[in-house]
Amino acid sequence: MCGIIGYIGFRKAPSVLIKCLKRLDYRGYDSAGIGVIDEKLQVFKDVGEIANLEKKVPIDKGTLGIGHTRWATHGKVTKENAHPHVCNNKKIALVHNGIIENFKTLREDLERKGYKFTSQTDTEVIVHLIDESYNGNLEDAVFSALKKIQGSYALAVVHEDEPGKLVGARRESPLVIGIGDNENFLASDIPAILSYTNRAVYLEDGELCSLTAQSISVFDDTKKKIEREETIIDWDIKDAEKSGFPHFMLKEIYEQPNAIYQTLQGRVFEREQSILFPERVEKLLTADFDSIHIVSCGTSFYAGWVGKYLIERLTGIPVIMELASEFRYFGVKKGSSLVIAVTQSGETADTLAAIRAGKNAGCQTLVVSNVIGSTATRIADGFVLTQSGPEVGVAATKTFTSQILVLFLIALKLAVLRNRIGLNEVYKYILELKALPKQLRQVLDRSEEIVEIANRIKGATSVFYIGRGVNYPLSLEGALKLKEISYIHAEGFAAGELKHGPFALLTEDTPVVAIATKDATYAKVLANIGEVQARGPPVIAVADDKDTEIEKHADFVIRFPSNGGLLSCIPIAVILQLLAYHVANLRGCSIDKPRNLAKSVTVE
Amino acid sequence: MKCVVLAAGEGKRMHPLTYTRPKVMLPIANKPLLEWNLLNARDAGLKEFLFVVGYKSEMVRNYFGDGKQWDVNIQYVNQGKALGTAHAISMAEAFVDDFVVLCGDTIFGAHDIQNIVNKESSMGLVEVENPDKYGLVKTKGANVVKIYEKMEKPFSNVINAGIYHFSKSIFDVIKMTGKSKRGEYEITDSINLLSKESTFEGIHLEEWRDVVYPWDLLDANEELLKKGTTSIEGVVEENVTMKGPVVVGKNSTILPGSYIEGPVFIGSDCKIGPNCYIRPYTSIGNSCHVGNACEVKNSIVMDNSCIPHQNYVGDSVIGFNCNLGAGTKIANLRLDKRNINVVLNGKIIDIKRRKLGMIMGDNVQTGINSMINIGTIIGNNVFIGLGAIVKGEISPNTQIM
Repeated sequence: MCGIIGYIGFRKAPSVLIKCLKRLDYRGYDSAGIGVIDEKLQVFKDVGEIANLEKKVPIDKGTLGIGHTRWATHGKVTKENAHPHVCNNKKIALVHNGIIENFKTLREDLERKGYKFTSQTDTEVIVHLIDESYNGNLEDAVFSALKKIQGSYALAVVHEDEPGKLVGARRESPLVIGIGDNENFLASDIPAILSYTNRAVYLEDGELCSLTAQSISVFDDTKKKIEREETIIDWDIKDAEKSGFPHFMLKEIYEQPNAIYQTLQGRVFEREQSILFPERVEKLLTADFDSIHIVSCGTSFYAGWVGKYLIERLTGIPVIMELASEFRYFGVKKGSSLVIAVTQSGETADTLAAIRAGKNAGCQTLVVSNVIGSTATRIADGFVLTQSGPEVGVAATKTFTSQILVLFLIALKLAVLRNRIGLNEVYKYILELKALPKQLRQVLDRSEEIVEIANRIKGATSVFYIGRGVNYPLSLEGALKLKEISYIHAEGFAAGELKHGPFALLTEDTPVVAIATKDATYAKVLANIGEVQARGPPVIAVADDKDTEIEKHADFVIRFPSNGGLLSCIPIAVILQLLAYHVANLRGCSIDKPRNLAKSVTVE
Repeated sequence: MKCVVLAAGEGKRMHPLTYTRPKVMLPIANKPLLEWNLLNARDAGLKEFLFVVGYKSEMVRNYFGDGKQWDVNIQYVNQGKALGTAHAISMAEAFVDDFVVLCGDTIFGAHDIQNIVNKESSMGLVEVENPDKYGLVKTKGANVVKIYEKMEKPFSNVINAGIYHFSKSIFDVIKMTGKSKRGEYEITDSINLLSKESTFEGIHLEEWRDVVYPWDLLDANEELLKKGTTSIEGVVEENVTMKGPVVVGKNSTILPGSYIEGPVFIGSDCKIGPNCYIRPYTSIGNSCHVGNACEVKNSIVMDNSCIPHQNYVGDSVIGFNCNLGAGTKIANLRLDKRNINVVLNGKIIDIKRRKLGMIMGDNVQTGINSMINIGTIIGNNVFIGLGAIVKGEISPNTQIM
């Protein structure tokens, strides 16, 4: 995720751009830059936070410009890779959010034609393509450039020779026009511009817009002009950071369809039936190891645990789960094992120590993290990013599902490398992956039903979660979510284990959430539900929408769209998050900042 | 000559009325505050306007558009985050040369505006009874020496009226102006810098009315209504008594038995009566209804609101789209006739008036026979149940049962 901004008007562009970028820093903050036209095009960019850039911009002149705050996906965090990118004659500047999938071929083509590249980003190809087609009209040049691009983009472009024009376009990445008085804006998101205007025009996929200080024009992908009504934004700036959601956590739950899409972008190729990772990761995965240790803490540990089932199922490689805080002291570290560390922030102290301990023992180490440049990504032998964008809510939501997804991709890649599955099966999984965002939207659309069930369990003193296989760590995560934000005591159990002790705790006031998927253990789970019900507690089943049997066994059923495969763990995770959220909300808890908890635990 | 009107403020002290509109859009005598200023400035010969807007700017823009309806030209600039008057004025830099500035929430007379327009580098001064509430101005001869922040024991009663005539050089001075104690960039600090270097003349105003709190609207309303003359565009049926200046807007009907003592303004599409009593200094907006056996006195009733059956409303402001249940009555005078205290935004204020009914936000509904005590502030979207007794400050979106 990155944030982009564009300004045309009467104010001093550099200060406007920087102020707006600061409101976008939730979209990323590893490097930032602005490009301003004050007769000549001038570009200022640097690594680090926006405040750092602010100190380095020497001018406050010009009334047209663009800006960018970056969350790296292609290329390292360097000044060269920061946006804006400029063309070779330094007249066009561009900022981009998204991923260009065919950038390698485009880059080779352009290099053959003599275009010089100064960065490793996929973005730079766009600015050269625009330059190549430029014939005195920036909109036309952007139109032709975009025809050649595959992938997602939201972009803002300026040309030195057209100092009264700001051009933007989007496909699958967000971009909104802010309409001002004698000024207009482009931004990834409303909060960026809300201190200047509350009038917005949303762009749709494939559309392009051209702004002057006094006017806006929107075109569809056939260059036909479209009339679009403006929307008055009725939130204040505090609400806006949450995009109108009452809590960051809920906003982040609802971001999951997009976060999942982002995680898959540039990695899963339907036509080639292949999964791609950066070179160093591919090397790590092809190495000869006989087992895998997954080390992590908290929610990441449960994501890792789901990953264990996925990897074992697809590859047959035994996976050992270790809590980072235990593994570092007590774990058996074998040089013949691959250590996969899962950490959202990349700064969790125990996980860092576990990675170091693994390295010292001669293990290869691979990190799954959301933050490029974090300590974990630097000390490990390789890393895969979850690409889910910054997460503000203390209770992890979108990073949990993205972590599971990355581990699934690793499992799939390993299965291919070790010839455990054929291309047909890979293709089947790829189609399932691509269907995930839509399935999550369906789950989110049904959240009203979850509110009703939340109402029934909000008064409980204890809630138990049960499941088998991959649903066992999901039960643990479901219980963790509930306890951390609603303060209700909750525990997860492997469904078969309930009768070995915890049965003693069941009463009519201890609801049990049972995850029942149509796998080999389905009948067993139904039997477990029966055992529970016989002892009085209400049972809430989480089941797929083709399951007609389950009603007969459970008191309430929450449905997820059936996809028949391993990936049902992702929609189930979202259901458990929503359930925990709504219970906490009904209980009036401080959801984004639960008592005693911190987002990233950097102490041991 | 351009006229810059500062119209960006929210007016927190005007809650609950400004939850849903900017301060300059508050209606007085059936026109927004800002329109009175526009009309007076136009009468003073100004044609080019720049409105500095911010809070709920779309309402200002939707109402005034490009100004054609008033035969003037209006441009807009959005102040964004309100950082003070100097910051607001600095928004105009790209649009003006020689210009006058009016605070949009204060009503200035046309003649006074003209005097300011005619004198380069000048500002308006006015004498008030409560100078401790305003920025005091020290003058030497005709020139301003210094503007002080408000002080507990003011040395004179001459204050800054909030109207200025500047040249382009003010923008350089604004850039040198630091933040005040309140943490804002204030134009008075800029003027203090300016008056050290060059002469800045103070011009005494004849007419001046500022509104700070909701009840101030009633005084401003009275003042403007006094200037009104009778004009009947609607239908007045038989057996209606009207005394003094009464305005009845288009498509409004006054039904038999209505007794109206002007000055009273009634907007368009209203139904008044039968058998009601409307007393002086009352402004009733558009699409309102005052029904049988109702008495309304010295009040502002905004558009779409109904006072339909057996109600008493005195010294009150009723917001947009409210409805009083049958028999809802509003007290407006203490039995011991002493001054009224009001709780507004959680603070107790001695309003130095003996009479005040209620200030009611938008979309409030009251049940039958509910009783509302003196000085009650009711937020928007409040439901008041039948027979409820209501007093103090009622938060928006609540129900009193």
